[in-house]
Amino acid sequence: MRNLLFQQRFTVAAFAILSLLMIAGYSLFSITLSKTSFASGTMLLICIFILASYQLRKTFSFLSIGSTSAWLQFHIFIGLFSCLLFALHIKFRIPNGFFETLLFFSYLTVFLSGVIGWFLSRSVPYRLSSRGEEVIFERIPIHRRNILDKVESLVFDNQDSAASKAIPDFYQKHLQAFFAGPSNLMRHILHSERHRHHLSQKITAMKPFLNEQEQITMQQIVELIQQKDDLDYQYALQALLKLWLFVHVPLTYSLILFALFHTIAVCAFASTSG
Amino acid sequence: MSDPSISRPRRWDKPFSLEVGSEGEMTDEIVDSLLQSPPFSQINPEGFKKSLPLREIMKNDSRIVGYDDGDIIVRRGDWGNSAFFVLSGTVRVDLERKQTSLPDEILGRRVSKVKTFFESIAQLWKNNKHPEVREIASVGNKPTFNTRISHGKTRIYLQEVSAVLDKYRTAKLETGHWFGELAALGRTSRVATVFSEGVSQLLEIRWQGIRDILRHDRNGSLKQYIEDVFRERALAAFLRTDPLFHDCEPELLQRIVDQVEFHSYGNYDSHKPFKELIKDGDNNTDAGEPVIIQEGDYPNGIVMIRSGLARISKRHYNGRRTVGYLSPGQIFGLDEIQAELESLTPVASRTRLSAIGHLNAVLVPTPLVEEILLDKESPQNIQSNKIPDTVRTADSHTVKLNDDILLSQLVDHHYVQGTSLMVINLDRCTRCDDCVRACASAHDNNPRFVRHGPILNQYMIPNACLHCVDPICMIECPTAAIQRDLDHGDIVINEQTCIGCAQCASNCPFDAIRMVDIRDSKGEIIVDSKSHVPLTQATKCDLCIDQKSGPACERACPHDALFRVDMHDASKVEEVFSP
Repeated sequence: MRNLLFQQRFTVAAFAILSLLMIAGYSLFSITLSKTSFASGTMLLICIFILASYQLRKTFSFLSIGSTSAWLQFHIFIGLFSCLLFALHIKFRIPNGFFETLLFFSYLTVFLSGVIGWFLSRSVPYRLSSRGEEVIFERIPIHRRNILDKVESLVFDNQDSAASKAIPDFYQKHLQAFFAGPSNLMRHILHSERHRHHLSQKITAMKPFLNEQEQITMQQIVELIQQKDDLDYQYALQALLKLWLFVHVPLTYSLILFALFHTIAVCAFASTSG
Repeated sequence: MSDPSISRPRRWDKPFSLEVGSEGEMTDEIVDSLLQSPPFSQINPEGFKKSLPLREIMKNDSRIVGYDDGDIIVRRGDWGNSAFFVLSGTVRVDLERKQTSLPDEILGRRVSKVKTFFESIAQLWKNNKHPEVREIASVGNKPTFNTRISHGKTRIYLQEVSAVLDKYRTAKLETGHWFGELAALGRTSRVATVFSEGVSQLLEIRWQGIRDILRHDRNGSLKQYIEDVFRERALAAFLRTDPLFHDCEPELLQRIVDQVEFHSYGNYDSHKPFKELIKDGDNNTDAGEPVIIQEGDYPNGIVMIRSGLARISKRHYNGRRTVGYLSPGQIFGLDEIQAELESLTPVASRTRLSAIGHLNAVLVPTPLVEEILLDKESPQNIQSNKIPDTVRTADSHTVKLNDDILLSQLVDHHYVQGTSLMVINLDRCTRCDDCVRACASAHDNNPRFVRHGPILNQYMIPNACLHCVDPICMIECPTAAIQRDLDHGDIVINEQTCIGCAQCASNCPFDAIRMVDIRDSKGEIIVDSKSHVPLTQATKCDLCIDQKSGPACERACPHDALFRVDMHDASKVEEVFSP
C-alpha cells in the first residue's frame, strides 16, 4: 500500500513536470514561428499509438514485457498527457470542418470513455463486493433461471384447487416481469433502492389477505426477491464495467483511422510555412 | 431380505510385504531373526500395546526388498513414505547438489524447460482449440529414462554404475545403516538419490510402523538413532537458517547442537483431520490443538519449528484470538528470554503457542539462548550493529496482521500452508477475467483455475494450487508424477507419468487439482485401448513454470488486484492483507 501511495505521488509529480515542460517548449517553439501544429500533431499521433498498444500487451500476457498493471498506469499517464497535447494542437477551439469536427468528437469520446472507465474501475469493485454473492458474469443467467424455477414452483406447484389465487395473481401482476430477466439496472447503477421499497410496500399491503400457509410462501418469495435483486445488482455493475470497454476500444480504432487520414491530408495539402 | 454384511477392514488386512516389489511374505522366521539382531534387538517389546505388538508391526509394516546393480531406491525430491535399513549389500548416496548431481533425465524427473521468446509468441496460434489436448505419443509411451522389471516391480536404473561412481561424488552405506527416515518422519522430500551398488537387500518400513515403534519403544533406541542422525547430519544447517544463529561461534553452535531437545505434537496419522478441519472452517477454534507453550508459563527455551505450523493465540474475554502463526524455521519465545535478560527476573509468556496438525520442533534451552544474546551484546558486536539486526529479524519472522479475525480465518482454513497462495482483492478487481485468460494462453487454452472461491473480508482465495509447504497431495501418488520442481520448489504434475488415479485430487483439501478427460489434437477423447474408458489426468496450477515471465495471472491483472503470496513471508503477508 505504501508503494502504491509513493507510485501515485510520483506519477502526479512526473505528470505536472512533463506538462509544464511541454507547455514551455510549445510556447518557445511558437515564438520561432515554426509549425507548432505539425509538432504537436506528430506527438499526439505517437501518443495514440502508444495508448493503443496497451491492448496488445494484454494479448501478449505471457511475455516478460512488464506487468499489465504498470502498462495501465503508463496508459493512463499518456492518456492524460495526450489530452493536454490535443488541447494545444486544436488551440483550445472546436475545429470547424466536418472531418476535423468528427475527429475532435472521436478523440473526445475515446478520452472521456477512458476517464469514465478509470473512474468505474476504481469505484465499482467496492460496490460489487458490498452486496450479493460473488458470481461470474457469464453464469448470472443460470443463477437467474434457478431463482425463477424456485419462485414459480412456490407460486404454482402448491396451489390447492379451493385455495385463493392471491399469490399467483400477485406474482403475475407485480413479480413476473421482475423475475423474468434483468431489471432495474439503471436504479442499481445509480444506487437507488426505490424499486425494492415499492415492492416491499405492495407485499406488506397484501399480507392481511393471506392465510397462514400463504404467509409462509410469501416470506419465501421475499427471500427470493432479495436474491434476484442482488443478482441484478451484480449484473448491472459487472455489465457496466464491461460495457465501457465496448465504447472505448472500437472507437480507438476509428480514431486511429481518422487520425491517419487527417495526417495524410495535412501532409499533402499543408503549406510549408508556419 | 437380508442386509449385505462384510467384516470391517482392519489396518493389516494387506501386509506391506504383499505389495508389489517385495521379496516375499514376512514370515515368523524372518521376523524372529530380525528381532534377534541389532538394532531391533535393542527395542524393548514390553512397552508395546497388546493390540499393537512389535512383532506384528515388523511383520505387517515392513518388508524385505531386493535391488539389482544400479536400481534407484529413492530419488532426490520425491515424497518419502518409508525408511530403509540395509540388510546386505551396499547402497550409494548421491552427495552432489544442483547441476553436478545425477541428471533429472536419467532419474525420470520432469525437466522444466522454459519457453523461448519465439515459442512464447507462437502460443498465440499454436494453442489448441480443443480442451486438454495431449500428444498421444507422450501418453503411455516408453519414457526416456531406463526402466526394467526388477524383483517384480518396474524400477528406474542407472545403466553404468561404475561410470556414475567415477563421475559423481557418492557416499557408501553398508549393512546396518538406516536411510530415508528423516524424510519419512518429517514430511519432507528426499534430499538425496540413493541407488544400489551391486545386489543389495533392504528392510523397508512404512512410516506408520516407524511411528508406532517410536511411540512405544521404552528404550527409545530407534528414536535415539533418528535424533542422533538428525543432530549429526542436519541440525546445524537447520539452526543456521535463523538469523539468531548466523554469527554463532562454532564452539557455541556445537554445544547448542548437543543440547537441543526434539519434540513432536499432534496427529501424524493421515491427512484426514486436516481435510475435516478445513470443511468445518467456520466453526473452527484452536481448542483441539496441542499446546506447546501455555500463556503465562515461563518458557524454558526458544521453540524452533522443524515441520508443521503453529498458532500463536492470546486470551480474549472468554475465548482465544489468533495473533500470529509460525511456519518451519521460525522461532517462539525469544522476546521473553530477552526481557528476562534485561530485567533479571523470569518473564511469563504473553501468548500461547499451539500445534496446528502435526508439528516437529526443537527446543533450544534458555541458558544457551542467553549466551547467544550476551555474545551479540558484546562491545565489538554493538559497534558492528549486530544486535538490532539479529533480534529484529528474528521477531519479524512471525506473521502478524492488524485484523485478528482475518488472521484467524487464514489459519483456520489452512491457507497459511501456501507458499504461493492466490489472493484477489475484490475492492480492486474489476471482474475482467484477464487473469483467467492469461492463464489459458499460457496453458494451451486450458485455464488452471476459476475466479471463484471463499471470500475473507474483501479477499477472494480462488481454488488455485497454493503450493503448500506440506503438500499432502503428493503423499500417495504411486508414480511420483506430482512432485516438487527441483529448481523452484513448486509442485508440478508430470503429464508423462500421471496415470490418472486421482489420489492427489482427492487428497487436496483446497479443491485445487482437477481430473480431466484428455484429448488428441483432433479433439477426440483418448480412451484406454482395452477397457475403452476415457483416460484422465490430473491438472493444476504450475505457476507457469515453463513461461519466462512467471505466473501469467499475476502479471495480467491491470489493477494490481491479484497477488501470489508466500504465507511465510511476514512482510509480504502484512503488505497484501493490510487494508
